[in-house]
Amino acid sequence: MAVRPDLVTRSVPVAVRPRLLHGVLEREGAFSWIMLAPGVLFLLAFVAYPLFYGVWLSLQDRPVAKPGTFVGLGNFITLAHDAVFWQVTRNTFVYTIVTTVLKLLGGLAMALVINQHFRGRSLVRAFLLLPFIVPTILSTVAWMWIFDPTFSVINWLLVHTGAVSSGFSWLGNKTLAMVAIIIVNTWRGIPFYAITLLAGLQTISPELYEAAAIDGASVRQRFLHVTLPIIKPILIIVTMFSVIFTFSDFQIVYALTHGGPANATQVFVTYAFDLGMSGGQLGMGAAAALAMLPALAVMIVALTLYLRRQS
Amino acid sequence: MSTRREFLTTALVGGAAAAVAPRRASAAVKSMTVVHESSFIKGFDDFFVKTLSPEYEKLTGIKVGYEPVSVGSMLTRLTTIVETKAGPEIVHTGVNWPHLFDQGLLDVTDVANEVGKKIGPWHDNILDAVVVNKKWKAVPWGNIGQLECYRTDWFKEVGVTKFPDTWEDLLTVGRMLKKKGHPFGFELGHGFGDNHGWMYPLLWSYGGREVDKDGKTVLIDSDETAKAVDFCRRFYQETMLEDVLGWTDVNNNKAFFGEQISCTNNAMSILIVAKRDFPDIAKVTDHGLNPQGPKGRYHLYNPQSHAIASHAPDPAAAKAFLRWLYDDKQLSRWLVAGDAYYAPFLTGYDNHPMWNADPKYMPFKESLKTSRLHGWPGPPGHAMSESVAKYVLCDMFAKACRGDSTKDVITTAAAQLKQIYKAK
Repeated sequence: MAVRPDLVTRSVPVAVRPRLLHGVLEREGAFSWIMLAPGVLFLLAFVAYPLFYGVWLSLQDRPVAKPGTFVGLGNFITLAHDAVFWQVTRNTFVYTIVTTVLKLLGGLAMALVINQHFRGRSLVRAFLLLPFIVPTILSTVAWMWIFDPTFSVINWLLVHTGAVSSGFSWLGNKTLAMVAIIIVNTWRGIPFYAITLLAGLQTISPELYEAAAIDGASVRQRFLHVTLPIIKPILIIVTMFSVIFTFSDFQIVYALTHGGPANATQVFVTYAFDLGMSGGQLGMGAAAALAMLPALAVMIVALTLYLRRQS
Repeated sequence: MSTRREFLTTALVGGAAAAVAPRRASAAVKSMTVVHESSFIKGFDDFFVKTLSPEYEKLTGIKVGYEPVSVGSMLTRLTTIVETKAGPEIVHTGVNWPHLFDQGLLDVTDVANEVGKKIGPWHDNILDAVVVNKKWKAVPWGNIGQLECYRTDWFKEVGVTKFPDTWEDLLTVGRMLKKKGHPFGFELGHGFGDNHGWMYPLLWSYGGREVDKDGKTVLIDSDETAKAVDFCRRFYQETMLEDVLGWTDVNNNKAFFGEQISCTNNAMSILIVAKRDFPDIAKVTDHGLNPQGPKGRYHLYNPQSHAIASHAPDPAAAKAFLRWLYDDKQLSRWLVAGDAYYAPFLTGYDNHPMWNADPKYMPFKESLKTSRLHGWPGPPGHAMSESVAKYVLCDMFAKACRGDSTKDVITTAAAQLKQIYKAK
């Protein structure tokens, strides 16, 4: 097909020199960098750039659609004087700590059960993964119905079994609303723990248990002195991931309560979203989002050092 | 089989050649896209896609795409469009957004003036929402009014045949209905519309204000606010379900259709959905204006408009489309397709036939006169949006309803507003 001359904006380059290129590729150093380049570029584009852009935003008074003004730590200082921010901080820690403990205990128990031999084990394992597989927003909508005062199956059961005379206001009461988001997060997160820990459990040689049994170790002793030490590194890694995911959990809180009632379930990310997107204060929103960084960084460094020492 | 080095050489040479290959100069605009919050009225979106867009394409050869955005998400979508300077060129704006995004939107004063001359003039109070520094940054479309929505049959059971005129009268009726098992359900949680829809008007009707016109003097700490807070606490405790404290915008609709509540504050969508899916409920559903308080009657202004993003590749083509869209031939039909859900701000449409389809629609037209933007009388800028995003007013009322003292909730709100408005 002919190309009209006026549509041609640049001429075709003369020649790339394959021979020269071939020579460069023969050098191990250059070749290694080229092989690493896609991964490095990916990390720079999708991890480093957003992170540093977020940090840069947090240091600016940056209304949406307007140029920013550098304010240093001004946004963080403003947040430090914001009573809601401290409530958000408390909420985030309560939410993260309680759900992590529940998921850890529940996931470990579940892993121990599904590691046993019983009929239909594969089916059970597949079903247990469902909460983790179903899109979060979809399952949260289902939970909205479960917590609904009129249609709540929990309330229906409690009332019809005579446990209570009237149903609870799961999402209207500030304490119960926090309990509700903790329940949903725990329900969704337990399979992640269970499957990961199951993988660890399956690496334990049955001979170790047999030897312990011959030495007269009880079930409890076998768990404490054989199982736990072997799966401890996995337990720590999975807990670290879980804490990070829970700290930055958005969907469950946003869909179920949107931080209400009266900020009783507002967490860092939902507050950051409200400030940045709904309030148009991108700098302040970034600062609120980054406020979680120190706590996460300390935890990650501590766990990494611990793991390194263990290995 | 080639080695990794040979493969890499081929790939790099090929990539470099592709990068410098001849390119075609950009062609004239043959298409554009309108991004719009998806309407509760299905016919509204359908009319654009199936009627307006094909008509415009037939007339000009320009294909106009329609990108619906889920309800409540339009502000986020608009933020990404304006910040990245990419995406649809004709954008839907709500409330005070033209003030937030003024640098990312083109001046459409000429289009607005032409429309105003033909079908207007424009209502006075719409100017607060769309005129920024004397320039129209969006062409107003219609107001999604937030009114009282109630069950006429249950109200009749307690001898009420006309919607109460004052908040105190509504409280009296609510008490009676709650005793009969038909409580009220006014959203007090972190939604985006049905909470603000009655709480700002309640505050104003008792004489309370968040901030003064100057946008620097915080006025929330007043006797008038205290009276509104005290009333709200009684209203909640004596007429409502506890759950409303955690409701978002879907909950009151669900409760109304579940026949759990007898009255709520909502847009007209509740009636329209009822007509479609719950005809028996629709027959006994009606709307009333917000009740008046000691200092008058108010409604929340929720204006929807259309603007042109500054990255539009062909601003003239985008303006030409808006001119065509706002011509009576198109505008009128699209409004009808919206079942009066959008109340226009043009005086020429004050008696538009769409209002005659159902007398239950009329309060939405009437409410325009007493409608104000969220932070009124403060300026409709970033601080106003921040206050709304932080739910300052909603949480003030909600905390009082759950039992906090009037003094405490007002003090907290005042501190937040002073920080937001950078007041002393």
